[in-house]
Amino acid sequence: MNIVVLVKYIPNPEGTPEMGPDHRLKREGVEGALDPGDEHSVEAALQLAGSDGEVTLVTMGPEAAVGALRRGLSMGGHKGVHVLDDSLKGADVLVTARVLAAVVKRQAGFDLVLAGVESTDGYTGTLPMAVAELLDLPNVTFARKVEVADGTLKVERQTEAGYDEVECPLPAVVTVTAGANEPRYPTLKGIMQAKQKPMDTLSVSDLGLSAEDVKATQEVMGLEPVAAKEAGEVIEDPEEAPGRVVEFLTKAKVI
Amino acid sequence: MDFAIPQDYQDLLASFRSFLEREVRPVEEFYAVQIQDDVFTEEMREAGLALRRKSAELGFYAAHMPESVGGQGLSNLGSALLVEEGAKSGLRFGAFVLGPPNPEAPNPILMDLPEHLHPKYVEPLVRAETTMCFALTEPEAGSDAQSIRTTAVLRDDEWILNGRKHLITNGARADVAVVFAVTDRDKRASGGITAFLVERGAPGFVVGKHQKTLAGDTNQAELIFEDCRVPRENMIGELGYGFASGMRFLNGGRAFIGAMCVGIADHLVRICTQYAKDRHTFGKPIGKYQAVQWMLADSALEVHAARLMTYHLAWLVDQGDYPIKESSMVKLNNTEMVNRVADRAVQIYGGMGLLTEGPVERIFRWVRMLRIVEGTSEIQRVIIARSLGL
Repeated sequence: MNIVVLVKYIPNPEGTPEMGPDHRLKREGVEGALDPGDEHSVEAALQLAGSDGEVTLVTMGPEAAVGALRRGLSMGGHKGVHVLDDSLKGADVLVTARVLAAVVKRQAGFDLVLAGVESTDGYTGTLPMAVAELLDLPNVTFARKVEVADGTLKVERQTEAGYDEVECPLPAVVTVTAGANEPRYPTLKGIMQAKQKPMDTLSVSDLGLSAEDVKATQEVMGLEPVAAKEAGEVIEDPEEAPGRVVEFLTKAKVI
Repeated sequence: MDFAIPQDYQDLLASFRSFLEREVRPVEEFYAVQIQDDVFTEEMREAGLALRRKSAELGFYAAHMPESVGGQGLSNLGSALLVEEGAKSGLRFGAFVLGPPNPEAPNPILMDLPEHLHPKYVEPLVRAETTMCFALTEPEAGSDAQSIRTTAVLRDDEWILNGRKHLITNGARADVAVVFAVTDRDKRASGGITAFLVERGAPGFVVGKHQKTLAGDTNQAELIFEDCRVPRENMIGELGYGFASGMRFLNGGRAFIGAMCVGIADHLVRICTQYAKDRHTFGKPIGKYQAVQWMLADSALEVHAARLMTYHLAWLVDQGDYPIKESSMVKLNNTEMVNRVADRAVQIYGGMGLLTEGPVERIFRWVRMLRIVEGTSEIQRVIIARSLGL
């Protein structure tokens, strides 16, 4: 089984993010890592691909984004594709989806595209659906379990109440939750082997996309901190407390 | 000259950091109350050992050991970087998941055992199924290690050991002990001291008193050998040259103790800097006062210098050098440095620095022993002076 995994290099998830003068996250010159959420989709891909399958990791981003591919390759991925092009700076979700869809189309004979549910830096949670739409493929989100049997994809889709059992034909685009698996840790051997694995670097023109295709459709006009929550009311008298709580809940029409 | 950390090592460190965050930190948080009370129960030790076995499976724990016995054959520099990373995390359980510089962990000196004994003794250590100890020190022979009195005499096909070791880290628990004994009284350090591998439970091998240190643990013990019988093949390396190989491996491992000091000091600088920003006195953060700034500036400077010395030493060892002088310099500088940094940390934390429930008191107490163990600061100065021709 041949699987494409969409991965993202994000500023150090343990650190404090910085915003640039263009109101966008500073991505260059800061320490970064493979999005921890994507490690679950890489792990799912490695488990599904088995010993005869192939896992291709795809990312778009500045030079340092190759770090995301390296991590995935050292976990066991087979090859990497890095889309690196100055014209993609400030790309929004739609542009990113166009680029990633164009890369996926070039992967002959792929069976499945996996991605994280949402990125840990941008949190839009819309990119995989946009990619599916552009590729005209079915899309299953929030997979907590992914299996393939007789050429059909079987997914347990996490819901608020439990999970849905979903089946769909291949190829498809699936987003994998953090509950799906425990990602493996790259070993020294894996890290050394990753250096020998094929890695393609592609530009926008290599993908056959025009300047118009990669022109951002959104502009960030400004940025403001989230307003701090007002301090709550503290009731210290234990005699008074139950009555006040009931009063508050009644007023809020909760009871 | 290239000071950049090789990309492979950066990737390995990133993987190890993920392991610390995902596996070790939850255990640390589970036992937060006990750690705060400076209690370390048997249950906590079991939890630490489970983490260690997982780390061994992933290849972190004994990465410094050769591939032929299940290690990763990681260079001295790579191993030192891992040690620094573990110490930098500030995690108490971090000490469990890496071999060096812990004397419980497999030591490359064991590679001098006959090869057919490697699967029996070395490989289980690499898999973290067993632990060892390094039994050199005796009541009458600390810094002057060549004055040891324990003897070994070959009788038929067995070595008969007699003597007493003390302050042996992990001595009470170790499955195997590397024991140094005199095999030729006249030659002593010049061909008269031999190293042996002694199994726990060997006839005549008794664990004596558990010794409690100022660090609060009871991990040191006396080991007593009374006509202790050891198979002839359990000799490590050549007859009479145990002392030389012991010193060689102690020196080779200096980068690890150095790296641990750098990691601990780095952790202290980081938490103190944060505290200096958060703690207010007289209307402003204490980090705005020059008294505190200077303490932190000095600490940051000393950590940087120690780090460069450590990496340089590790690199020298990787080049195949036997850097006696630099090994002593790193041991001396870094252990003294981390004590100064810990002292400043207590000062910056003020009253909080004195409380056992605070984040620096235990470290302050614990690092004190580093100036004594594995060659005191004074012995390191003697060695450095000797390298000057004095």
